[in-house]
Amino acid sequence: MFFQQILNGITVGGVYALIALGYTMVYGILELINFAHGEIYMIGAYLGIIFIGIFTAIGLTEQSPLLAVLLSLTLSVIFCSAYGFAVEKLAYRPLRNAPKLSPLISAIGVSIFLQNYVMLSQGATDKVFPQLFETKGIEFLNLTITVLQIFIIVVSLLLMELLHLYVMKTRTGKAMRAVAQDKTMASLLGINIDWIISITFIIGSGLAAVAGFMVAMYYGLVNYSIGYIAGIKAFAAAVLGGIGSIPGAMLGGFILGIVESLAAGYLSSEYKDAYAFIILIIILLIKPRGLLGKSSGDRA
Amino acid sequence: MYRKILLALFVSIFLASSVFAKDAGVIKVGVAGPMTGPQAKMGMDFRNGVVLAVEEWNAQGGVLGKKIELIIGDDQADPKQAVSIANKFVNQEVSGVIGHFNSSCSIPASDIYNRAGIPMITPASTNPQLTERGYRGIFRVCGRDDQQGKVAAQFVVSKLKIKKVAVIHDKTTYGQGLADEFKKFIGTNAQVVHYGGIIQGDKDFKTVLTVIKNKQPELIFFGGIYPEGGLLVKQAREIGLKTPFMSGDGVIDPKFIEIAGSGNAEGTYLTFSPDPKNVPTAKSFIEKYQKKYGEIGPYSVYAYDATNILLTAMKNAGRADSKAIIEKLHSGEFIGAFGKIKFDQKGDVTAAPYVVWITKGGKFVEYWKP
Repeated sequence: MFFQQILNGITVGGVYALIALGYTMVYGILELINFAHGEIYMIGAYLGIIFIGIFTAIGLTEQSPLLAVLLSLTLSVIFCSAYGFAVEKLAYRPLRNAPKLSPLISAIGVSIFLQNYVMLSQGATDKVFPQLFETKGIEFLNLTITVLQIFIIVVSLLLMELLHLYVMKTRTGKAMRAVAQDKTMASLLGINIDWIISITFIIGSGLAAVAGFMVAMYYGLVNYSIGYIAGIKAFAAAVLGGIGSIPGAMLGGFILGIVESLAAGYLSSEYKDAYAFIILIIILLIKPRGLLGKSSGDRA
Repeated sequence: MYRKILLALFVSIFLASSVFAKDAGVIKVGVAGPMTGPQAKMGMDFRNGVVLAVEEWNAQGGVLGKKIELIIGDDQADPKQAVSIANKFVNQEVSGVIGHFNSSCSIPASDIYNRAGIPMITPASTNPQLTERGYRGIFRVCGRDDQQGKVAAQFVVSKLKIKKVAVIHDKTTYGQGLADEFKKFIGTNAQVVHYGGIIQGDKDFKTVLTVIKNKQPELIFFGGIYPEGGLLVKQAREIGLKTPFMSGDGVIDPKFIEIAGSGNAEGTYLTFSPDPKNVPTAKSFIEKYQKKYGEIGPYSVYAYDATNILLTAMKNAGRADSKAIIEKLHSGEFIGAFGKIKFDQKGDVTAAPYVVWITKGGKFVEYWKP
């Protein structure tokens, strides 16, 4: 049972980690906690249901479910990236030089707006994601795992590795790191700061869309309020790993998922949501900057 | 320009207030339930039943020579909202309330109606606590969780002859109440190997199901509503837990099967009142409802009955005075779509029929009578 719980935890943790990356990247560059990020994840889940619906209507889902899923996933990522881009441009960029609290308040406003926008346009009832794949678990070594669980774990690990390579190896990645270190210096060296910030939001929102899409497919149930608790937990994961640090967000996500799973399994499932924050408090007491947060200077 | 706007504003305020002043010629009835939010479907199903009943009365000239005006309150299944709706109804001087839907809303709201002396009839709140506090004006036309839990326990013990059960609830007044009653009536006839709560609104129950799987129960009983119920069934099957699943009236919604997946939901049991389609007296109501709104919801009939009972009591009382209406509700015998209804001292129906239903071929069908 112990390993089964770990496996359950890794699946959930992968999703937390994908969302946490968006928080941490934005914080690393702007020192802004983007509270609207959880809503982008929720919109990703809704877009998934909408696109799958369209593909089912034109008959593609029946012919090739995998192709329909991959196409819907790609489309949700594109649309969510556009949402992320627009949110930054409309709600944060005008406040770039305002006191730090202003963009934060703006972020909370965007979050409330997006939640109600989805509620009003899509209705308040739960939406069901159609079951496309076999849901019976595969058994091995006394463990049960479903196709979708494997899909979630593989996709989240793959995306994290790709993001890591992107930030470490490409020119844009290097520019992102430069902007995170010192905006003024980076712009003096000819880096287009606005563009780098936009790219950060686009990538972060894309990852959130993938997380939302996978969650919608895995649980099969979506409503307009799922972004709140997922966002808060992913934020906890980002802080746990050291906000601003990309490997930290991944580590934080997995730790959170596993701890939650084990605690709910061995202690009590009634307080499942509380464990995430208990572990966060403990880590912050011991390591105030999070597990992989840099301890020197003001910047992450 | 400003002056014109100001003038328009004043005029519209006067027009609006003259609308309010005209209310004296109608009898106001409040309907409260989750009209929006995750349980909006249940709320709308029951609202439609009330609207249909009121339209019938109004077509025949209303009650006591006055038209009936419905005031719809949306509590969003949230106890705090329910209390504010209750206060609003009291301020608007309604003559009676049909609602609320959720037990967790009905109980706090009933405090307010009781203080104001307004009769309240709930079509759906099944928690025993609601009518156990000696409030004279609080009634329900549905059954109680202890009656429901008893039937479920009887079914499990005497029909399925099961020896080991796991009990889960969603920590709400309704869910935990039902689970507790089930556990109480199971008593020593079977062993309860797991008893615990989950969080309403959560989506991942694999951890708790993994724990349950390890304890090898022969049946899982869930006290709660359909979104969690559906997910529990789906995820149980995913981790290879094939144990029969049983729940209460909170999961009787087509969405339950949709969420669980029709293959997974097949063979799950639940307790609910008898199918109105099998009750001859309900036939004309169902036809009317279907013509107007489509498929009837699980509580539409109760809502219709509750409304008719309230208005009949009002007619019998001869005046829209709350105290007289409450007395008539206690003393009268009413004919509902489900047959004769009479209230006991507490405000519960004297005969609350519960039967066991099963999910078969993607539909709920009546299965077992105690």
